[in-house]
Amino acid sequence: MNVSSLTIAFTLAWRNLWRNYRRTLIMLLAIGLGVWAMVFMTAMMRGMVDGMLKDGIRALPGHVQIHHPNYLDDPSVANSIAEPQGTLLDALNHPQVDAWAMRVKVPAVISSERETRGVMLLGVDAAAELNLSFDISHITQGQFLPSLTEEELAVDVQAQKAAKGIVIGVKLAQKLETRLGKRIVVMTQDIDNTIVDRGFRIVGLYQSDIPGFEEMYVYSDRRLIQSMVGLKGQVSEIAINGDGYRDNQALLSHIANASPADMKVESWRQVDAYLSAMLEMMDGFVLVWIVVIFLALSFGLMNTLIMAVFERVREIGLMQALGMRSSGVMRMILIESLLLLLLGLAAGNICSLLSIAAIQDGIDVTAVAEGMAMFGAKAVLYPVLQYSDMLLANVVVIVLGLLTSLYPAWRAAHYDPIVALNKH
Amino acid sequence: MQHPMLALLASLLLFTTTGLQSAELTAKQIVHQSMEQWRGVSSESTMSMIIHRPDWQRTMTMRAWTQGDKLSLVRVTAPKKDVGNATLIKDNSMWSFAPKINRVIKIPSSMMSQGWMGSDFSNKDIGKSTDIVDQYQHRLIETLREGEHQVYVIESIPLEDAAVVWGKEVLQVRDDFVVKRHEFWDQDGELIKVMVASEIRPMGGRAVASRLRMAKVATPDQWTEMVTHQVAFDVALSPQIFTLSNLRNPRR
Repeated sequence: MNVSSLTIAFTLAWRNLWRNYRRTLIMLLAIGLGVWAMVFMTAMMRGMVDGMLKDGIRALPGHVQIHHPNYLDDPSVANSIAEPQGTLLDALNHPQVDAWAMRVKVPAVISSERETRGVMLLGVDAAAELNLSFDISHITQGQFLPSLTEEELAVDVQAQKAAKGIVIGVKLAQKLETRLGKRIVVMTQDIDNTIVDRGFRIVGLYQSDIPGFEEMYVYSDRRLIQSMVGLKGQVSEIAINGDGYRDNQALLSHIANASPADMKVESWRQVDAYLSAMLEMMDGFVLVWIVVIFLALSFGLMNTLIMAVFERVREIGLMQALGMRSSGVMRMILIESLLLLLLGLAAGNICSLLSIAAIQDGIDVTAVAEGMAMFGAKAVLYPVLQYSDMLLANVVVIVLGLLTSLYPAWRAAHYDPIVALNKH
Repeated sequence: MQHPMLALLASLLLFTTTGLQSAELTAKQIVHQSMEQWRGVSSESTMSMIIHRPDWQRTMTMRAWTQGDKLSLVRVTAPKKDVGNATLIKDNSMWSFAPKINRVIKIPSSMMSQGWMGSDFSNKDIGKSTDIVDQYQHRLIETLREGEHQVYVIESIPLEDAAVVWGKEVLQVRDDFVVKRHEFWDQDGELIKVMVASEIRPMGGRAVASRLRMAKVATPDQWTEMVTHQVAFDVALSPQIFTLSNLRNPRR
């Protein structure tokens, strides 16, 4: 096969494409729309999941977590670790670490005059927690725990009161039929398994985009909870944030090298298996989505090409009679299909890039926010385009598209020239 | 102050000598004394618990032993299907034994707010009632006259960090230190539940609220009544009674 025969095949294919330009345009539109749907919708779904993941990881786990080796199996006060000291503390204050916070995290029972519910009681340092996980704008009423040092606290009576308070979710407050400023009782078990309880005044109410979160977690001061459950100088977990949640291997080993042998350092993937499963599922889902759209597209593509071949039976017979080999015919049809696919892909890619750029600031889906909140998505959707997804869509369309056109091309190449020439 | 008359005299003396400005101290003393009166240094009693619901009612008979305000044991003696069910309270922990499954269960914190043996008394009501003395700010709001008795009305407001959900509790204590009425108010000033002593009789050498009814204000046709048939105070009890092994295998 020389260059000139390829050029001829290419020219023939290109001209054939525009002989019935209406059909070609419709096909281009179909491919373009399909590719747009693949890329754009994938970006939207990525954006949704990304938002959920970011929120979810930000909410508590952090990118990397340190805890007692048995903590994940049995999250009780018995499985706690010492507050960070020495090398670990140095490692935590290293610039590689964005933010870190230690917490006491114990299952507890919260009761008001009318209702009782199970919750997870978090003893936190307000300043560290605001830095790492808690978004102050989520406070809808009252305030978060005061983030003051002990000296500042000693002079500020108002803050002292707030520091002994508790911050609970809006939904939990509704379930307990209580309000900001009222007292509730928190009951839990201390390190000797005896029941300890204490009254707290509600100093703040927060809301969360993550379903169930605000009914589950209540925040109080770390030292207060430590003395309540008898955990002096000990915490349940240390959550650490680095650059990004996807690639946390460097951070993981940085912390793991510095932490004592009796502590286990784990990525959020182990700590929150649900979130990590969601990310994996998303990767698989993107492929399925692209292939499904392509399947719908492929019928149109094959049909168009078969039609083009049927129309030109006599012509193909003539070319073969003049000496064109069947492989040349096949090549011509395949190039025609490839051109069609490439043009469609270009149109689709440009459209999707433009539409993603157009809604870069997010689209408001407040109208269906309630439904979205049920699986943890936000009311504003941001598209997140991953170039690997775009590449995947393009590769799938070209490879499967050419495979689909093999049949019409093979048919065209195997006409008997005599029969073909006599066809009317 | 084990003798009730002595206690009465002492507190009356306090009343007359200190007057109104130390009403708080007196109020606290009244509450303290009423708890002492109710439990004694030690006690042994037989009682019935009647659980009433709109469409059914059941009665359980039981024996109870108490020592100080930290130890108590209650064992069901009738009806037959409940015989042997027992509850032991030691400090702030609570265990229950069910002979049907032959298991001792430590009542976890999550169950402390649930009804004790299906009654309107919560596990907490049973286990921690003496905390009322220290965890509240007591104030005498008025003194009523009822026949030959004086009745002190005391408002008890829980301290800031007290493990109490109520906004306030109002106690009516007769001058012989029997709690006549115990009201539980929520933090919005709404009455939620009331315990009333509908019968007060002298028993074991002191006045005892022999019939106590607990009911929620919202559901007056659901109540639980504790009827004390017999009680002996300040009896010598072996420490062996308040053990887990005795909870499971009664020696007496």
